[in-house]
Amino acid sequence: MATTVEQPVDNTVEIPGERAPLVLGGLDYAAITTTVCQVAERRRPPLAWYIAFWISFPIMLMFGALIGHLFLKGVGVWGNTSPEYWAFDIVNFVFWVGIGHAGTLISAILFLFRQNWRTGINRAAEAMTIFAVICAGTFPGIHIGRVWAFYWLFPIPTEHLAMWPQFRSPLLWDVFAVGTYFTVSLLFWYMGLVPDLATLRDRAQTKLPRMLYGIFALGWTGSARSWHRYEIAYMILAAFSTPLVLSVHTIVSFDFAVSQIPGWHTTIFPPYFVAGAIFSGFAMVVTLLVPARQWFGLKNLITIRHLENMNKIIIATGLMVGTAYAIEFFIAWYGGVESESFAFQNRVFGWYSWAYWIMVTCNVLVPQLFWFKYIRTSPLLMVIICLLVNVGMWFERFVIIVTSLSRDYLPSSWTYYRPTIVDYGMLLGSFGLFMTLFLLFCRFLPTVAISEVKNVAPRPHH
Amino acid sequence: MRHKREAKITSPVITLGDDSYRIMSIAGFVGIAGLVLAFVFALVFHSGSAWQRFSYGYLVNFCFYTTISLGALFFVTVHHLNRAGWSVTVRRIAEILAMAIIPMFALFLPILLPLLVGNSDLYVWNQPGWTAAYAGHTLTDLEKLKGAYLSSGFFGIRSVICFAIWSGMALFFFGQSLRQDVSGDPKLTSRMQNWAAPLMIIFALTLVVSSFDWEMSLSPMWFSTMFPVCFFAGAVMSGAAAIALVALLLQRSGRVTDEITVDNIHDLGKLMFSFIVFWGYVEFSQFMLIWYANFPEETFWFKYRTWNSGWMIVSIVLLIGHLFVPFLALLPRTLKRSRKFMIGATVYLLLMHWLDHYWVIMPQIGFDGKDYAPFVFSIVEILSFVGLGGLFVAIFSFIASNRPLVPLRDPRLSEALNYSNT
Amino acid sequence: MVSTHAHPDHAKAHSAPRPDSELIGLLAEFEDQDALLDACEHARSSGYKKFDAYSPFPVHGIDQAMGIRRTMLPFFVLAIALGAVVLGVGMQWYANRAVFSPLFPGFDFIISGKPLWSLPANIPVAFEVIVLSSCFATFLGMWYLNRLPRLANPLFRIERFKRASDDRFFLMIEKSDPQFDADQTQEQMRGWGAAAVEAVRLDLTDHQIPLGLRRIGLITGLLLLLPPALIYRAQHATNPEPRLHFMPDMDWQYRFGAQNVGPMWYNDRVPQFFFADKSVMRLPVEGTVPRGGLETDIELFRGIKAGSKIPDPSTAPPLPTTPPADEQEAAALALAQAALEPEWVTTFPAALTVDQAMVERGRDRFNIYCVVCHGYAGEGDGLVNERALELAINSPIQKGATTNATWTKAKSFHDPEVAKQPIGRIFDTITNGRSTMGPYGSQISTRDRWAIVLYVKSLQKAWIDPPKPTIPAANVPPGASDARPSNVSPTEGKSDEKTDPPLLDTKGN
Repeated sequence: MATTVEQPVDNTVEIPGERAPLVLGGLDYAAITTTVCQVAERRRPPLAWYIAFWISFPIMLMFGALIGHLFLKGVGVWGNTSPEYWAFDIVNFVFWVGIGHAGTLISAILFLFRQNWRTGINRAAEAMTIFAVICAGTFPGIHIGRVWAFYWLFPIPTEHLAMWPQFRSPLLWDVFAVGTYFTVSLLFWYMGLVPDLATLRDRAQTKLPRMLYGIFALGWTGSARSWHRYEIAYMILAAFSTPLVLSVHTIVSFDFAVSQIPGWHTTIFPPYFVAGAIFSGFAMVVTLLVPARQWFGLKNLITIRHLENMNKIIIATGLMVGTAYAIEFFIAWYGGVESESFAFQNRVFGWYSWAYWIMVTCNVLVPQLFWFKYIRTSPLLMVIICLLVNVGMWFERFVIIVTSLSRDYLPSSWTYYRPTIVDYGMLLGSFGLFMTLFLLFCRFLPTVAISEVKNVAPRPHH
Repeated sequence: MRHKREAKITSPVITLGDDSYRIMSIAGFVGIAGLVLAFVFALVFHSGSAWQRFSYGYLVNFCFYTTISLGALFFVTVHHLNRAGWSVTVRRIAEILAMAIIPMFALFLPILLPLLVGNSDLYVWNQPGWTAAYAGHTLTDLEKLKGAYLSSGFFGIRSVICFAIWSGMALFFFGQSLRQDVSGDPKLTSRMQNWAAPLMIIFALTLVVSSFDWEMSLSPMWFSTMFPVCFFAGAVMSGAAAIALVALLLQRSGRVTDEITVDNIHDLGKLMFSFIVFWGYVEFSQFMLIWYANFPEETFWFKYRTWNSGWMIVSIVLLIGHLFVPFLALLPRTLKRSRKFMIGATVYLLLMHWLDHYWVIMPQIGFDGKDYAPFVFSIVEILSFVGLGGLFVAIFSFIASNRPLVPLRDPRLSEALNYSNT
Repeated sequence: MVSTHAHPDHAKAHSAPRPDSELIGLLAEFEDQDALLDACEHARSSGYKKFDAYSPFPVHGIDQAMGIRRTMLPFFVLAIALGAVVLGVGMQWYANRAVFSPLFPGFDFIISGKPLWSLPANIPVAFEVIVLSSCFATFLGMWYLNRLPRLANPLFRIERFKRASDDRFFLMIEKSDPQFDADQTQEQMRGWGAAAVEAVRLDLTDHQIPLGLRRIGLITGLLLLLPPALIYRAQHATNPEPRLHFMPDMDWQYRFGAQNVGPMWYNDRVPQFFFADKSVMRLPVEGTVPRGGLETDIELFRGIKAGSKIPDPSTAPPLPTTPPADEQEAAALALAQAALEPEWVTTFPAALTVDQAMVERGRDRFNIYCVVCHGYAGEGDGLVNERALELAINSPIQKGATTNATWTKAKSFHDPEVAKQPIGRIFDTITNGRSTMGPYGSQISTRDRWAIVLYVKSLQKAWIDPPKPTIPAANVPPGASDARPSNVSPTEGKSDEKTDPPLLDTKGN
């Protein structure tokens, strides 16, 4: 079976002039194939997988039940009231879309930046992207009120409606942005999967897997002429995905920034949201991959170096987010607009200051621990920090949405937002959905891009 | 890889050598003459507001050349931050351009000193009661609030700190890099890599501060949190363009012909391309958010850049010339791999970057709170462009002088030489 | 598992050809990518054109070694992207601007004070459309150019080729290449360092898709047909059941009647009230007069004779709901209806001054409010009336409805039944409406309503029966067969009889 012997090679140290190895354990091509494929091929996944699955799956079912409850009872089951017309629903939406940015970032931007280490993690990150966008799309989908009229969001010519979507509304831009992002991520992910599905097809011992993998592998042979077009197509998709991934969170930020609510209208929102999205997405990738590499014996392919690099990106994007907080505050003061400076004072010292300080602690202060090499190379500590980062990023959206809405221009309508049990249940339920999909992915599909890792693996010596 | 090129410097000429003195004297002369002429023409054509006109023209060009230098400094820092391999061969040029930030501080004094003696031709906030132009009467509270930040003394302190930090960074990277030419010690690379991360943070913060100070405070009532990002995008684009242009011109004069490969130029072209798109993205976002939300305290800045017919044309030229034209021109790979084409493209992009600063700075001239002066193009700006340009070139050749124009013994030299973009 | 990769090396390129298969090429196996690169260069320099290499990952430099020309894919994608610019902008322009389109007209609507067509707001969607189209073009174009999917490939029948997706490298030279010669090519391949050479054969016997797959495909296809079939059925069937109410709180919202008492909402199960006494609204302050409470002059405000008895419809016997069967019943019905009528005034109330100015005012108001149905001369031929009749006649029976759309023709004031109505009755009709005519009491002030009554009476007075049509029938345009006089003719005819100025002056319209 797989050679998962831990070699005493510390690939986090790189002597300038020699690139640190990205595949450890002296794995050759065949061993890489076996290491990845054994997860899908073995009869039983490890016990940890079962435990995780049987926790996530009922939570996912609960999510479905709560959505049904919402359909039958109406959006009143949530705590949203005037003036907090947006609350947990949109917080969760922005949170999950943000998580969904890491995958495409890794597969597209790091590809264009020629960061070879992305090969070990891109497959799992892309899958995570797709599942996160599914979770994200659920929330605006169910918060529109009359759910059965969702198709009004699309420009479908109908005689009985005699109506078209309003293309000047940022909420409609969201539909197009998230829809495009999901579709393109799916295409990108599937295209990357095809050669690996061919590997699984060629290794399959029984008929059903061979047939299923075979159908989805589309008859891939690995011909050089195919590879040529495939690589160019991959590059083009990466080139389109890069502005796409920026545009998605940019457009999500437009939902807020084009409005006139104090604390929402600030021009730095687009890049600040994008940086925040990458920040939380990477944290989620680290959170998922640390246990996955442990359970599925992928430590030689997803090495500490991969994780360390991700942690470095987490510091960088965390600092970008922190800088954006600072610029926002500075301009709120420097601009001299009363409502704006009030909104920011209210964030820091107002009723929701607890949320604000959770956000600052988790997003700006905690990631600074990654400056210490011991912390950023310790799997346990990095998972803890990354979980905190995602807590912080969830609260960032909460602070932006709820604080600003609950204290708008009319003091007479100020209220204190209280989520209901259904709100909490749906937040938890979306994690159940996400984890269930991710665990199924780990079980049945190659978690690591086999062909891409082979390209950066050390050359075999004959 | 089956056929690997050795990590060896093979070009016959890798320094400016004696030419540096010739360039220095000619460019220096052109520079001083240009600035003197600019002032003379300002006196002739703008007799009532000669110093104001000269200062504005000077500020446009100062910002233009400084952002080139800052873009190069960013390039060097990010090179080390990412442990990049491909950009080793062009890194020395970037280091020299970054070093130019030190003398740029001397060229900042014509802006800073008049401010300290109380002149408000350039920065209106330097005069008490400036809000009256906007509101009809003095807004004492607002002036007090903004005065805490926009005061000549604090402005001077901030500028000195920014320049000190940038100079320190440039000196550090240049010094370590030159030491490595002699010793070839890979530890120097490691040291630069370790320092790159904290330095990058300081660099980002100083860039934010200087963009607010130099350009945004020209219109002290206006504010936009995106402004530093726009400034940064232009700086990085112009930095990459300047590095590529210098590299190509050096190669034309028969220097470093073997080391800087066509793939390096191709990569720089991609970098410019990406930052053109990024510039378009942030500028569009800034415009769109202000346009859509339609707050009067923000829209006026764009209003006078689009309602006045002259400035409207400049805005459109900037949109098309700084975004659409280079987007299409830098898209085909064959063009990015053509050295001849890239000389033209980099010159063009630098001119567009100049127009970017011109568009931000110049409409403020003669602003009385209600209306801006109509678009008037003056030879003063051109002459300051030539003048400061001459001094910038002289500075470059002074720093380059006899120093090698490629890192001689960088441990990743072989990676850069062997990189192929296929 | 590794054991399955043990390959007994029998390179039987010339094993006895089975009659049911055909040689299509030779496949050479190599152990590493450099050997493959060398072999590709050899194959190319030996003049082979139809050959391909197979590797588990893209081998760097193989494009040059094989002489693969750069694909046209980027240009194809660029063309699609440029087309998508037009598509993305055009779609939004059409949807929000093309109101003139006969089919699926656009829907223009001003939001947040933006112009109806404002490009900055259309850029995000246009951008997404460009990206989406280009990515599909890239994805589909790549598979098309690669001639994939192709699930049946003779290579898949070769056991050793399974390692092409694992750790081995292959080179295949096709038989259709003019240079191909089974023996010689095999020798050459061995010379280039091939670890093994094997013949690739096309199976001529079996071109069928496996039965299992066909069954799965058939079942999937049938299942996919199910949702559209159900939707079609639902659209073309009548369901007597009441419709489902999802989110009932949107259909039946909680509310309280005026002056009720009760909690307004709950916060953490604690009932919340607007007011300390728990009522949902305040009582009116003392001395408040209800709307209309000061209108005591019933002659002026209701058109009913002062002091007369006002019949109460709630105490009267109910009117029959079925249409009268014979004259007797009709007479009884008319009597019962008459009993419900109060005693209408027949002269103008004393509070009004009836003069020329009042007639003018009446004409003015009449021309605003009444002509649309009743026509300028009060013949009941206003434009709305005509159009409504046309629609009522032409409209198909609505789904679920049993009759045509209904419209009661606007009354002609010169109908004898109407002409003899007392003025109080006319005033009441204007105020409260009759049949399909709506009430105008809230829109026209009391005095203006009386002015209209006066004008109606003057119209009736000025009326003479229209002359019989003198236009030859052939000249009558279709649809004008009843040849009513034009709007202008009656008034023109009457102008000599009345001292009033012409009743219809066009400047007032």
